[in-house]
Amino acid sequence: MAPVLEVAGLVKHYGTHRALDGVSLQIEAGEIFALLGPNGAGKTTLIGAACGLVRKTSGTIKIFGLDLDQDPISPRYRIGLVPQEINFDPFFTVRESLRIQQGYFGQNPDDARIDELLAALSLTSKAEAQTRQLSGGMKRRLLIAKALVHRPKLVFLDEPTAGVDVELRRDLWTYVRKLKAEGTTVVLTTHYLEEAEELADRVGIIDQGQLLLLEEKHALMKRLGERTLTVRFTSRVAALPPGVEGVLAADQLSFSFTERTGTQTSAEVLSVLFAAKLPVADVSMQPAKLEDVLLRVLKGGPAS
Amino acid sequence: MNLIGAKTLFMKEVRRFLRVPGQTVLQPLISTALYFVVFAYTLGGRQSELEGVPYIQYIVPGLVFLGVANNAFLNASSSFFITKIQGTLVDLLVAPLGPVELLIGFISGAMTRGLLVGLLTWAVTLFFTGAHLVHVGGTLVFLLLSAYVFSMLGLVAGVWAEKFEQINFFPTFLMMPLTFLGGVFYSVRHLPEPFRTISLLNPVVHMVEGLRAGMLGLPEGSPLGLGLLLVLAVGSTLTAWQLLRVGYKLKT
Repeated sequence: MAPVLEVAGLVKHYGTHRALDGVSLQIEAGEIFALLGPNGAGKTTLIGAACGLVRKTSGTIKIFGLDLDQDPISPRYRIGLVPQEINFDPFFTVRESLRIQQGYFGQNPDDARIDELLAALSLTSKAEAQTRQLSGGMKRRLLIAKALVHRPKLVFLDEPTAGVDVELRRDLWTYVRKLKAEGTTVVLTTHYLEEAEELADRVGIIDQGQLLLLEEKHALMKRLGERTLTVRFTSRVAALPPGVEGVLAADQLSFSFTERTGTQTSAEVLSVLFAAKLPVADVSMQPAKLEDVLLRVLKGGPAS
Repeated sequence: MNLIGAKTLFMKEVRRFLRVPGQTVLQPLISTALYFVVFAYTLGGRQSELEGVPYIQYIVPGLVFLGVANNAFLNASSSFFITKIQGTLVDLLVAPLGPVELLIGFISGAMTRGLLVGLLTWAVTLFFTGAHLVHVGGTLVFLLLSAYVFSMLGLVAGVWAEKFEQINFFPTFLMMPLTFLGGVFYSVRHLPEPFRTISLLNPVVHMVEGLRAGMLGLPEGSPLGLGLLLVLAVGSTLTAWQLLRVGYKLKT
């Protein structure tokens, strides 16, 4: 089965600036792919090139196996985009905007689909409101509804939850998981790394137009993530048992250990501490964060 | 061909201008009615004749043309330009709408507004002059051709413009001179040379004369003029199609 999205040697120049510098990647059907990187890294340019908003300098893009140079229109029936910038047409209501969007994608008005999306995005009460009357968060949700109303099989979410409150962000995550369960492929860019951590199957890290890393999320977190073990003692501990990695605090009342690839595991350290009968009062574990991984990669740490 | 997409865009364009009828229909109607009153009545036109017909009757086709041309142009240019400014252009670019669907949607919407204003302008003048429609077919050809050409030019302007100042460039510096020097209020056939020949290079002259021939039965207009308009129609269509195809000023 052909990849849903296949990008090969994609280059985009803006004058002398190389926004994309030979990016190649493949995205398979049904996966959630998070594209991460700092501002200006090339994330939106990459999505724009795939969605027909950006004219590439060179390289190829295939969507559902169709080369956009040969057929730029057919694949678009099955893609949806939540753009980074909020837009709305002030002449129309929320429902009218969604009907128009269905029409653009060659579909007749389907109010049942519209109602389903409005409910999922907590916009039901605003269905007949003029779009200009919506708050910023509601406008963002309308953008999401517009991107999904024609039931696309490949969805690009470019910062979909910027300005959306926490509760609705969680609702959106639930909806994205539902899309995945239905077989929809999702390409996501976000500044909320918790979002990527929560949703993504695979992660790509891009900087200065180059793809630095492309890896399955759990494997990446295991390979580059750092977990921190902290142990507090009921009384002072003069010294650690031999062979234990980690640092005893100056007040001798706590101990911390950073677990990464190649070190002891936290379980091994803990078992040594308990075997030595140290006066352990409390144990806490800070899991690995995608944010730390991203920073390590961007600072030139180990990549794939 | 995404026919539903093109139809949706057309319907959206029509609903858009009907949402603000005071601005898009009533205002041009009042402007045209004022031209009619000032030129035909207060400047003594009521008593005079031109080409054998009363002056107030003579200028009706030109006023209908003004309504059609101005509104067709403004609808296409402002609608497309606003789409760029408010960011909803993204919706059109991502959707499976090629240049043909975009042209059909925007042009048919703009032509509808132009023809609606033209029709209403004609209806207003009926109160003053009575109905005169000698050749229905000829009148329709020139009405549709005028609406089409100015819609297409409006779309080109909307694609090209990046600032509000630029969107006003065409109406002020191109359309206004062309229409006022295009024989709307007089016959260019009576001008001395070289102004007569120069005027005949103005496509607006042929649109107005064609309408006048159709509505009043005057021996104006010529196959050469019609040919010039057809060339303009094809030329503007190819220009707009190419701009949309390559995404000129639309895609980065």
